[in-house]
Amino acid sequence: MKEHDEQFEDFLREFQPRRPRALPAPLAAKPIWPQRLVAAAVIAVSLGVSLWSLWRKSPPRKDLAAAKTTQALPDAKSAPAPLSLLPLTQLALENPARLDAVLTEASRHVLPSLRGSESTLRALAKE
Amino acid sequence: MERDPDRNTHLPERTLSADEVRRLYDQHGPALVAYACSIVADTAAAEDVVHEIFLRLLHGDTLIPEMPVAYIYRAVRNAALNSRRKGNRSVSFEDQPLAAKSLFQHDDGNREAALALQAALLELPEEQREVVVLRIWSGMTLEEAADLSGVSPNTAASRYRYALEKLRERLKPYRKG
Repeated sequence: MKEHDEQFEDFLREFQPRRPRALPAPLAAKPIWPQRLVAAAVIAVSLGVSLWSLWRKSPPRKDLAAAKTTQALPDAKSAPAPLSLLPLTQLALENPARLDAVLTEASRHVLPSLRGSESTLRALAKE
Repeated sequence: MERDPDRNTHLPERTLSADEVRRLYDQHGPALVAYACSIVADTAAAEDVVHEIFLRLLHGDTLIPEMPVAYIYRAVRNAALNSRRKGNRSVSFEDQPLAAKSLFQHDDGNREAALALQAALLELPEEQREVVVLRIWSGMTLEEAADLSGVSPNTAASRYRYALEKLRERLKPYRKG
């Protein structure tokens, strides 16, 4: 009986299960860092544009406007280059004394004058 | 050196590399589809079930024991039972095209005999069909088949014997001699 079964088992093993369809190729995992880089760049550009836009559109302060009315506009030739944060920071780190000098020089052109007959204080006192 | 007391009861687990998964699929895929088909009685659904398991393994986030074959058989069994319960495929075996439903191929290319075998298997009660497929095409012992099916070895042996008798009778016209 056992031999009988073994013969039949051998007969059944003549049949092979059909090979199933191939496994699909796995999707390559997309690296995340380029997406993060692009996102960071977009944020940085947006921030920069916003700040620049705000700086351009910011309304003049009233006290400064009043001072400007009484203060003669500086000569275009003597007007210093606009102060920039980056060079000033660099100067503060490298040479604080020179920074003081630069700021003092700049303040003469940027801040309202407090000396002389046409100074801001006198103009305000008259009002 | 002391022997780890848990070593026999808790096998270490790991993930499989893509190469290992594909090698296992090449080696055991056909038998696994036959096994899944013994549960869902539908070759296309059986392939879907086996694919689902192997894709999960390919994804690489499944921890499996050091002996992956037994794990995969168990996973396929559970997935096949789920698939059948959900009725994932509504096309009956009779409605499928011939190429789709031919689960077996004969060594001598006897397609008629292959289809007769498949039909004979489908006529068996599921529990008998399961043990025959595991024994003949998965190469398991009756004890291993019993363990996977969750029955005693005696029950598995009895089911196997009944199944062979029915298949022998049904496939008599296709046997040589």
